[in-house]
Order: sequence, then C-alpha cells, then structure tokens
Amino acid sequence: MKKILLAFSVALVALSSCRSLKEEWDPVFTFGSNEPGEQHLYSESELSEFGFGGSFASIRELKSAYKSGGVQLSGNLWIRGQVISSDVSGNLYRELYIQDETGGIDLKLGKNSLYSEYRLGQWLYVYCDGLTLGAYNGMPQLGMAPDNTSTNEYETSYIDVQAIIDQHVFRGAYAEPLNPVVVSENDIQAAISAGYTGELWGKIVTVPGLVYGNEIFALMYPNPNMDHKNGNPENRVFLSDAGTWGIDTWAMSKSKYIEYVQSGNWDTAEVGSGATRYGPITGTPADYLAPDSKALAAFGPYANSSYKEIMVAFATANYVSHYFLIGKTEVQVRTSGYAKFADEVLDERILGGAPCDITGILSIYNGSAQFTLVDEPSVSVKIR
Amino acid sequence: MKKILLFLAAMSFAAALSAQDFTGGVKGVVVNRNGRQPIEKARLVLMQGAVEVAVSESSEDGSFVIPGLADGMYTLVITAPEFLENQVQVTVNDGYMKNMFNLSMTAVQQVTDVDDDSFAAFDLDDSGYNDNPTILFGSNDVFNNIAGYNFSAVRFRARGYSSESQDVYLAGIKMNDAVTGYSPYSLWSGLNEAMRSKETVNGSEISDYGFGGYNGLTNIFGNAASLRKGLRGSVLTNSSLYRMRVMASYATGLMDNGWAFAANVSARLGGNDWIDGVYYRSFAYYVAADKVFNRTHALSFAFFATPGERGAQNASTQEVYDLVGDNMYNSNWGYQNGKVRNARVRRTNEPVAFVKYDFTPSDKFGASATILYRFGRNGYTALDWYDAQDPRPDYYRNLPSYFFDANPDMNRHNDMKYGWLNEIWTHADDYPELTHINWDRFYNVNRMQADGRAKYIVEERHVDQNDFNVGTTFKWRPDDMFTLTGGLSGRINRSENYKLVNDLLGGGYFLDIDNFAERDFAAQPWKLQNNLDYFLSNGSARRLQEGDKYGYDYYAQVRNFGGWANGKFVFGNLSADLGARLGYESFWREGLLRKGLFPGSPSTEAEAAAWRNAGIEETEETSFGKSETAQFFTYAAKLGLNYVIGGSQRVYANAGYFNDAPKFNQAFLSPRTRNTMMDGLETIKTFTSDINWQYSGSGINVRATLYYTTIKDQSKVMSAYDDLQNAFSNFAINGIDQRNYGLELGFKLPLYFVENLSLQGVLAAGNYEYTSQPTMTQTVDNSAEKVMENVLVYHWDKSHGLDDSIIQQHYLPSTPQLASSLGLAYNYNYWFIDADVEYFGRSYLDMNPLYRTDYAVAGPDNTTTPDEIAYMTMQEKFSPAWLVNFSVGKSWFVKGRQIGFSFNAKNVLNNTSVKTGGYEQTRIVDNTVSKERYYRFDPKYFYMPGFNYMLNVYFRF
Repeated sequence: MKKILLAFSVALVALSSCRSLKEEWDPVFTFGSNEPGEQHLYSESELSEFGFGGSFASIRELKSAYKSGGVQLSGNLWIRGQVISSDVSGNLYRELYIQDETGGIDLKLGKNSLYSEYRLGQWLYVYCDGLTLGAYNGMPQLGMAPDNTSTNEYETSYIDVQAIIDQHVFRGAYAEPLNPVVVSENDIQAAISAGYTGELWGKIVTVPGLVYGNEIFALMYPNPNMDHKNGNPENRVFLSDAGTWGIDTWAMSKSKYIEYVQSGNWDTAEVGSGATRYGPITGTPADYLAPDSKALAAFGPYANSSYKEIMVAFATANYVSHYFLIGKTEVQVRTSGYAKFADEVLDERILGGAPCDITGILSIYNGSAQFTLVDEPSVSVKIR
Repeated sequence: MKKILLFLAAMSFAAALSAQDFTGGVKGVVVNRNGRQPIEKARLVLMQGAVEVAVSESSEDGSFVIPGLADGMYTLVITAPEFLENQVQVTVNDGYMKNMFNLSMTAVQQVTDVDDDSFAAFDLDDSGYNDNPTILFGSNDVFNNIAGYNFSAVRFRARGYSSESQDVYLAGIKMNDAVTGYSPYSLWSGLNEAMRSKETVNGSEISDYGFGGYNGLTNIFGNAASLRKGLRGSVLTNSSLYRMRVMASYATGLMDNGWAFAANVSARLGGNDWIDGVYYRSFAYYVAADKVFNRTHALSFAFFATPGERGAQNASTQEVYDLVGDNMYNSNWGYQNGKVRNARVRRTNEPVAFVKYDFTPSDKFGASATILYRFGRNGYTALDWYDAQDPRPDYYRNLPSYFFDANPDMNRHNDMKYGWLNEIWTHADDYPELTHINWDRFYNVNRMQADGRAKYIVEERHVDQNDFNVGTTFKWRPDDMFTLTGGLSGRINRSENYKLVNDLLGGGYFLDIDNFAERDFAAQPWKLQNNLDYFLSNGSARRLQEGDKYGYDYYAQVRNFGGWANGKFVFGNLSADLGARLGYESFWREGLLRKGLFPGSPSTEAEAAAWRNAGIEETEETSFGKSETAQFFTYAAKLGLNYVIGGSQRVYANAGYFNDAPKFNQAFLSPRTRNTMMDGLETIKTFTSDINWQYSGSGINVRATLYYTTIKDQSKVMSAYDDLQNAFSNFAINGIDQRNYGLELGFKLPLYFVENLSLQGVLAAGNYEYTSQPTMTQTVDNSAEKVMENVLVYHWDKSHGLDDSIIQQHYLPSTPQLASSLGLAYNYNYWFIDADVEYFGRSYLDMNPLYRTDYAVAGPDNTTTPDEIAYMTMQEKFSPAWLVNFSVGKSWFVKGRQIGFSFNAKNVLNNTSVKTGGYEQTRIVDNTVSKERYYRFDPKYFYMPGFNYMLNVYFRF
C-alpha cells in the first residue's frame, strides 16, 4: 500500500510540474498588498543604454530640418523638453507639447488622457530616429510617417503604438511647470513671418490685451457619418463672415449644438463650401441635389428632411473659433466641443469689448495665429 | 440499523402494496458488475406492465427485500447513481420469496466529476452575451450519461435548449436563479459527495418533485441520509481548470436512534496547463443532519456554502490568437510587481440553508415541505477607469489590423505601425507589459495624480441575493391505477445589484460620477451624478474609498407563486400522465440611488425647491424608487403516454404547452440606470413533443428519441461596453422565436465475443433555428435618448423569403447541432478502461442583432445589395471537430477499505482549434473610403483546451 501511495504522490508531483508552478500559483497565494515600486524616471546619463550620443538637438534645430511634405528623421537625433500641455480639460486630443529654450513642438503621441501619464513641467527625452517631422496647415508636428491611405491629408500620423512611444519618448525628472512667455503683437507678426520655424509656435504664451472681434468660425457636417471632405459640399455648413451666429460659448457640446441649431440663429447659414453654395439649412437635400445623384441617395430616409433636422438627428459636439485682436493682428481661440468648458459662456465683459490676457499654446494655422486654451477660461483668460 | 433501513425502504418510498396478505416476494443484493461490490441506495421499482407495484431501496450491504407480492410476472427496474438502469424479469409463484441473489449493474462512468467545474468560467459580462453551462444529469439514462460527461467540453446543450430551461431542484425547491433563470451549480460546486444523490427526468417528463419544463428536471436530495455512509476522501489534479482538489466527506448513515449526520469539505486550488490567469482559490463546506422521529415524521436540515474565488477567461479575436500562436490566450491577466494578477475574478460566498419536513401518514400518502434560504455575496471584479487610456491589451486599436487591411475601402495602410505591432504580438512573451494587462502602469498613473484621484481601479459588480423559498409536494396513490402528485411553491427574491470599489490601485479615491455622461453634459454637473441626492446634500460627488458602493444600486424584486398537479393513470401496460401548472409571477426594479441622468420627479416640495435651485430637470424615466410591476399569470399543461412492451422495452411520448413569464434580466432596457421596461413584454409560449423508445436489460441499454419544440415571443437584453458610445450599450430584443427538432440516440451494448467489453455511443442530431424577425431597441447608459427604437431586425431569420444565395438560415448558437460519440468500455477485476471517439458539427456563433438590421446592411449610402446582405447577415459556422478521449481506473479493497484511482485523458489528439463559443462584437466599421457600406468587427471566440487530464486518487473507509 505504501508503494502505491508513493507512486501516486510521485505521479501527482510530476504532473503538477508540467508548467511553471510559480506563476500558476501567484494569484492563489498573493494576499494583501503587492504594490509595485515607484515609476522609474530616466536621467540623461541613463539614456546611453538606448543609444543616446550625449548631446541634444534644440527644438529650433529640429524644426529647421523640415521640408515641405514632411521629412522622416534618422540618425542619433535626440531632443528634450518640458511638458507644457495638458488634456485634462479635453481641449487637446491625443497630442502633447514640449518646449525647450528655443521653441515648442507638438508630439502626436496618439493617446488620450496624456495628462495622466505626463506631468506639466516633466522632462521628456525624444529619440527622433524613425519619426517624421511634418506640418499641419503650417504648424510643426512630430509624429509618424503619414498613413498611406487614399484619403490622407496629413504629413504625419499619430504615433499611436505604445511600443513605438516607449522606444522614442523617455520620461525624465519632474520639474516645476514652465511659466508662459508674454508676447506682443510684434512677436506674433514676426512668428507669422517666419512661418514654420517661428519660435512661438508650440510654446505656451500669454498674449496680453486681446479684444474680442465679434466673429466666430465653425465648420459643421450635418451628417458626420457621411463623407464630408472638400468634395462633398452637400454635407458641409460653414458659420463665418457674419458675426457670432448667436454663439456665446467657447464651443458647443452635443446638447448645446442642438440648442443652437434649434434657436433659429443659424437658419440663414448655407449648405456648401467654396464656390458651391446650395442654400440655407432650412432646405432639404432633395431641394438642393439632383434626384438621381449619389449624393442625394446617401441621405437615405433623410433626403426630404431639412438640413436643420438632419443636424439635430446627427448632432455631435463641435469646435468653435472665436476671433480676438491684438492691435490689428487676428488671433483665433479655438476650442473643442469635447472640452469640459465647451458650453461655458464667454464673460460678458469680453463680449462687451474688455481687453483680456489669454494664455495657451500658440499655433499657426494657414498663416494666422491660433490659440488653444490648455485650461478652463477662468484660468487661461484674465480680464483686465 | 438494518431494521430502520428496511423500514425506510418500505415506508419512505411508498411501497404501495395490495391490502391483501400475500406471502410472496423478491429479495437479493444489488452489486457492481465490475468487482461484485454491493451498491448502496439503489432504487428498485417493481412493475407489472405499467403498474408500479412496489418501490424499495438497497441497504448498506446492497440487500433488499420486497415482501407481500402476489404470484405473477414482474419487472424489477433498478437504478442507482453512476450506474445504468437495469431491468430484470421476476416470477413469483406459490407464495415464495424469490431470491434473485446478485443483481449486477453496469457503472456508466467511473470518472464522474461533472459539475460546473467542468466548464471554464467564461468572461462574457462586457460582451452582452451569456453562456451559462447546461449540465446533463441522469446517470441512469444512457444518453444523458455519455453526452453529459463527454460533451461538456464543447458546451453541448441537450436539444439546443438554453441553460435556464433546465429545472434544478434541491430538496424539492427549484433553485434556478430568480432573476436570470440560470441553473445554479456554482452554489454547490466542490460538494460532489453531498450533492451526488439525485433523481432526474428528461425532456417534458413530470417528476415527483416538480412540474418541470421541457428540458428535464433534476432533484438533488442533499440531506444527510442521502450521503454514502463512511469516510471518503480524494485528491484530484487536472490540467484544464485547477491544479488540485482535495475533498473529504463523512456520513453516519441513518443510525438506530433515528439521526443521520453528514459533512463534506473541499478545496480547489491552483491554475492549469492551458489558460494563463485562470485559477481557483475555492473552498466548500456542507453540514447536514436528519432526524427520523417515527414512521410518520422526519426532519432534515442542511447548511452549505462554497466561499472562494476563481479567475475568468476572456475571449479574443482570431487575429490575436494567430499572432500569439495560442488559441488559449487570455487578455484578463497581467503582471503586478512581477506576479500574475487576473482582472476578472468571481468572488462568491452564498450560503444555502434548508429545512425539510417529511410527512408519511400512510403507505398511500406522503408529503413534504421545505423552507430554503439563500443569501450572501456574489461579486465579479473588472477594471474601471476614468478619463484614461483603455487598459485592455487586445483592444482593437492595439492590434496590427487597426493599421493595415488589404481591403482599400477599410482605409488602413500604415505599414510601419502594422509591422511594429506584428512584431510585438508575435513575440508576446517578450512584451508582457503590452500584450497583457499592465498593472504596474495603473499604479504609476494613479500615483501621478496630484489630488489622488484614481484613474484606474478594480470594481466589483455584485448580485447579492436574498432568496426565500417554500415548497410542498405530495404523492397520493389510492390504488395501483391512479397516482396523484402535486405541489405548491412560493418564492420571494430580492437581489441587490451594485458595484463597489475593490482596489484603488495606489490611488487616493475614486469619484462617484458617470464617467461617460461627462463628455456630453460637462456643463450640467448634476447630470453626471450617480448619486444625485448625495450631490445635492454635499455639493459634490462622493469620494470613494475601497469597499464603498458606487455607480448603481438597485433591487431586483421577484415574487413567484404557483401550484401543479399530475395524475398518473395506469391501464395494464399503458399509463398516461396528465398534468397542469398555474402560477403568478411578478417582478419590479427598486432603485436605491437617484441618477443624475434619470432623476424622475421630486417627491416633496422641499426636494422640488432644491432641484429648481440646482437647475435639475425632471425626467419621465426615473432611476429611483419602484418601477411598475410586471405581472404574469402563467400556465402549462403536459400529457405523457407510456407503453411497456415485455419486461425490457417501453415506448413513451410526451407533449406540453407552456406559457412562461420572462425573467427580470430580459425585461428592463437598462436596469443599471433606470426603471424603464421593454415595450410589449409578453409571456413565452412553448410547445414541445417527443416520442421515445427505451430498452434496458441484460446489460443492454438503448434510448432513442425524436423531439419537436417551438418557443415563441422570447426577449433578451444584451449589454455590452461600447467604446464608441463610451458607455454600456443595451440592445433589448423582443419577439425571438425558435424551432428545435431532432433525434437523440444513446446505447451501451455488451460485446459478447469479448467478455467485459461493451460498445457505447450517442448521437444527437438536431436543427435549432430562428424563425422570426424580432424588434430591437438600443439605448446607452449615459443617455436618455434611444439610439434605435423598436427597429425590425429584418434579417434575423429567412421569413422574408430571400434566396439561399443571398441569406442563409440562422441557427441557435454555441452548441453543436450534430454531436456523436462511439467508444469501447472494458471492465475487469476492478479495472476499467474507456476509450471513445467524438464528432461535433454544425455549431454556430452567437449573433449580433445589429448586423441583421437594415441600417447595418444598407450602410451609409442606404442602398442594400445582395452582396451586403450576404456579408453582413452571415452567421459563422464552426469547423467540425474530432476528439478522442481515454479513461482508466482501478480500485483495491484492503481489509474492507477501498482505495483507487481514475485517470481521464481528454482530447488525446491535442486538437486546439475547436471553437466552443464566442460572440460577434456589437459595433460596425463605418470609417470607409467609399462610404457605401459598413463592415463587421472581428468576432471573439473561446476555444477548447488541447490534451488535458484528470487524475483522481480516492479512498473510502
């Protein structure tokens, strides 16, 4: 009997050893806290294990490498900078800005909630080999090679892939957040003149004494699920060139969007873009489009609904750009409809013409300066 | 002692004998054909034609006596757990006691550990699908025994029926979950010895313990005296679920003082060879006592629970499986500080207690009453996150296919990212932080938050039941020609559904707001509140600590009352059953939290004033308080005919009609958030019929069955996390009809040319198909708007008459509609060797209603083409599978003590490409170049483990 029991015991142990017992039993025998240690932050000296050659290029130097259409970077090119942007308010999406003493750059990381991963002021080291330096309407961006798709309009794409981020972006020490640089109209004009390499683009700045221009710009797609590129004017509605269209919020969430559509203030807004203008949104696709056209068919059961009704049915949050002036220079403040402060009404004093100081990331958009508030207006906008 | 057993044999099991004083009788000893060991608690029914003449039970030494028989020809039907039914002819003449000596029985499966441990814990909570296992009981039935054991690995469902259609009783109380109807095996898993003794009927047959439905009824006795006497223990290791099980039981049997005591304990621990992250840390205990006061009164009490936890397995897409080269990849786990941790862990502790009273005033009448109470906690952990990156490693944006697809219309052409991800996933072991959950990152992120607000936490979703049941049954047998059985039952169930913070993962607190509503209603902070009343009282959302409830909290209140009766009429060799059931079922939701999105109306003027001050808008739908009550009067009727041919054969047929209430979980559009019920909720109408032929005797067992069933007006609600909507999306489907018909055949035949060798097999060939076009309403938890309302799911079935080349017939999923097994069984000198080959075919993937709507088929251009119909409505048919299984065992008797082992090897050919289930994701690819059509997301699958074994070493003292 003892032999039999021994044989069974040996058999049990042998069979139980077929696989890594340690890992298999981890969850069974782990009780209580098993908290990992603090996250490792790299010092510059530690970067050598990743091939760092010992010196960083400045962001200005990086920008100078740009060529029209975008350029894929190679070689032992490293930059460093401190984090100056936060997407905590939802006004930035999938991108992160870093800044050194020579300028700032938009890192298209392609991940959301980056404020949870990168702290304001924290040093980041970026290994640029394999990344692509490009521009979006003139604004410098560092990302990946563009998607090779037929509809691609960009010189770069989001990095997206965590493994690529891990091999190119290294977290360094925490530090105090950078103070914004106060800029003048001349500084902005100089940057606009410099174009792509303008030192201000991608930096956190404060523009003092801005005055509201009583004008907004917004582009909406009545049915965002349908094609809405330039070639589809039947699915585009612009709000521009005619004051504020009744919009007094920084942007519009979905519910605010519906409220604006239904207010009647947009009833004269025209469907179409460029030279193709169909008529006001109170009309229907069937009114404006050829009966047997593919464009009309795409509206399906909504072909005989007014665009206004279609905009309500397919409502979504939408951005708004408000125009401000410093001297004679126009600066747009663009706010995402997904920003947590999208529906916040602009202060009455601003609307009344009171000058204000605005802090944010400054960018260039088709030759104009454009602001992105990195925090809610109560922080980023100071009324004088 | 023997006297008591004999007394019980005669009394408790209603040995209905003629009032005349006959001196004839039958006696003998029931033994195992393999080894001639006595079989205790075998049930012996003496029949004369279709007339049940007497019932008895074998004692501890296997002996039995049935006295008082008139001269004549009888059939003795012998059944026992784990043995095939046997029938023998008995002739009593000249008033003598006929000694049958040894009556041998054939063990059906020596490796019987079929309980819910036989099924992997599939993680389907966030998918919107259910896959509750169906376990075939009925070891006396040759078909159910073989199919129940061999087919469990492919999640075979008898006749294609769902789990909730199978009635499972404990001590006369129906134990199917009050809210879902699911069979409740997890309540007693690990208590195999305590729950071994049971009685089962198939299909729509009527049991003594309940009316049942159309998918059989099993009553587990569960009382102390039902356990086999003595000390038993076992150590088991298996390679597909948990590494080790140790189990022990002790039962006194019924003692001379009328008491019986029993206990059973077990522990199941460890992981397995196939699915990383799946593990058990589960325990079980059972204590019970019986007291037989006298011939008339007996009382039973039992208390048991199975506290513990087990890690779950998740489904992934074929892309992931192919990349990692492993169809068993499990995305639920990852390393935390170097140790494996699973995010989806089922943690339960639900004790059950019952008291049963047996009243047997005469041989012709017996009744029993049971009170049963179930309570405790049932939790299931999951990751929750706020404004942070999706933590799931196999999230579709983390896969190569998100960046490249050969179809240019999909607009995915970034070769570089595709290449990077391909490299990562094909070397998954080198990148565990990317291909599994990265727990350390959660801690890093949480610790980064300046105010301590956690971004990632582990939540624990609870369904904690308070389930109170009463039930009575009676059996009255005034004469041999007529037997009346019946019962009454009542149930009060209050199940609290909520979730709590299980682990803050290094964070300081978590905020009790609706993360998903924040996107759309940032400017209306009251709309974000999961607990609006707390917000109004405190001016901010609650900061949660570990153990705090949050998110949602409501009672599912269920009340059931009913009664049934069945008359059995006997006319010589023919008997007929006619039964009916009446019932009343009601349920409602009772919200315990007022959610900001659905506040309803204020109940007091002060509340109204507070709402006005806060700008809160009243809503028609409400999350708080009681919903309307859904009430249903239910009824059912059954007819059974049974004709006995000679002593070994019978032909029987059953038909039934059932008008059953839907369950709570099939009725509410979004029970986590509001009281709103689905429109047009109806009772479910089922018609079923079957005809059967059975042969038992001389070691031969055969059953053949033809069945036909229609089920109409079913509803169900699927809730799946939709990252496009950033919320749980609910698909409420109404008006689902189905038709199930087919053949069942099971047999075990001795092969006379080789002694002790038998041929055994089963064949289940069915057709389980959808026969209606249901309607669907889609809602999301973070919005009052209905995404779709009562939309016809036009392409759900073929009733619109489109050609086969355009649309295929759609079938019930997740079970093979063709399943077969053929094997050999050899028994000799306490050895047994079984080997069988199985074939499974015609198994289908669960269908997503969204893909069968005109909306999805037509695409953004609103034009439907035959190609689009064929593509979007297609239902995947799994490849057929061949499997080979092998079992061997041996036991020894040493000084009256038994020790033995059994070894069972499943899937000997190591086939790792057998899909056992899965589901279609409830979303579409709409970002196409052409804007002419939509594409489907890749479905997710579960696979059966490859070669796996179970070794059980046991002793019985």
